Amino acid sequence: MIKRALGGLIALLLIAGAISVITPQNSIAGEIQEYTPNISAEEYEKRYNEFYGDATKKMAEEGNPAEMLLDDGKALFQKVDGSKGKSCASCHGQNGEKLKGAATTYPKYNAGIKGIITLPVQINRCRENQMGAKPWKYDTPDIVAVELFVKSLSNGMPIKISIDGPAKPFYEAGKKMYYTRLGQWNWNCAICHIKYSGHKTRANILSTNRHHADHWPTYRMAWQSTGTIQRRIINDCIKNMRVDKLPEYESEDIRNLEFYLTYQANGLPIQVPGLRF
Amino acid sequence: MAEVGKIRIKLPQGIKKGEVIPVKALITHPMETGLRKDKAGKPIPAYYINDVKVYYGNDLVSSMEWTIAISADPFMTFYVKADKAAPLKIVYKDNKGGTFEDTVQINPQ
Repeated sequence: MIKRALGGLIALLLIAGAISVITPQNSIAGEIQEYTPNISAEEYEKRYNEFYGDATKKMAEEGNPAEMLLDDGKALFQKVDGSKGKSCASCHGQNGEKLKGAATTYPKYNAGIKGIITLPVQINRCRENQMGAKPWKYDTPDIVAVELFVKSLSNGMPIKISIDGPAKPFYEAGKKMYYTRLGQWNWNCAICHIKYSGHKTRANILSTNRHHADHWPTYRMAWQSTGTIQRRIINDCIKNMRVDKLPEYESEDIRNLEFYLTYQANGLPIQVPGLRF
Repeated sequence: MAEVGKIRIKLPQGIKKGEVIPVKALITHPMETGLRKDKAGKPIPAYYINDVKVYYGNDLVSSMEWTIAISADPFMTFYVKADKAAPLKIVYKDNKGGTFEDTVQINPQ
């Protein structure tokens, strides 16, 4: 009996030892060793078109289910909510006229929160401070709908993120996050999307990070719903690295990472709602 | 997924008479396959739309038989020749006996 208990204890200790191996490892201390991109964004686009043909184009012609969410977003934008009897439209114009082009500069540095502010965080701050309404839970249909509507007002306009001045350290932090190895696989974002971009993983080509941030919120076939870039990062990328504890939505690391990623797409036009496999 | 059976139908703007128009329709529905299990390990019963009918005026213009292979919140696009001013009605029926329908008016110029 005692022997068995001891055996159990040893087994437990062994498991504990194994777990400590798979916890996130911040193996990079100090300087980041940057990788050289395997292929350029243009080369990736060429390979993508060779590989998939016009499948995505045909898919888009049939229509995007997220268009319905866009209509919901407009209705929510005009809906009065909270103690102050205001809606988003009370300040920003009935159809959001005053927000035209506003989404091109997000995420950006905000002195109020001393960090990077993303569009959903801004929406919730507006709700709390200006409307006296309860903030929405992140990545739920309501907040995705409003984010989608606000972003759609900037459709076709180039993304112009500034990383100068006070935003610089947060850009560097985001870059560090991009190069931080995580999980049981001990991967970082850069391995797939910089070092080995253009190679195959299962049936897909690993993309370069140029076009990662210009089409969110996007309807994804795999989700059967419309979600934000953070859902893609947390519930797909980071989960696939087998991280034992997933980060929270709009946590500081993830906001910095989104800032870094969106800067990579600087100059590209915003195209929402996106449609992806 | 807030409510089951919320339908939205979208028509293009400025429809001309005799034109072939795309109609987009979305319904919120879980479309459970019956093959999944919940967290306690019990199978989740099948719950999906299996019959869709489209009426234009009094005519049945399309009839579809759906299975568990269709995604949650099914979204479909189909084409209709707008040759008369009449309501377009879509009727969805699911395997639990639920019936959901919505109507839009097509008014070709």
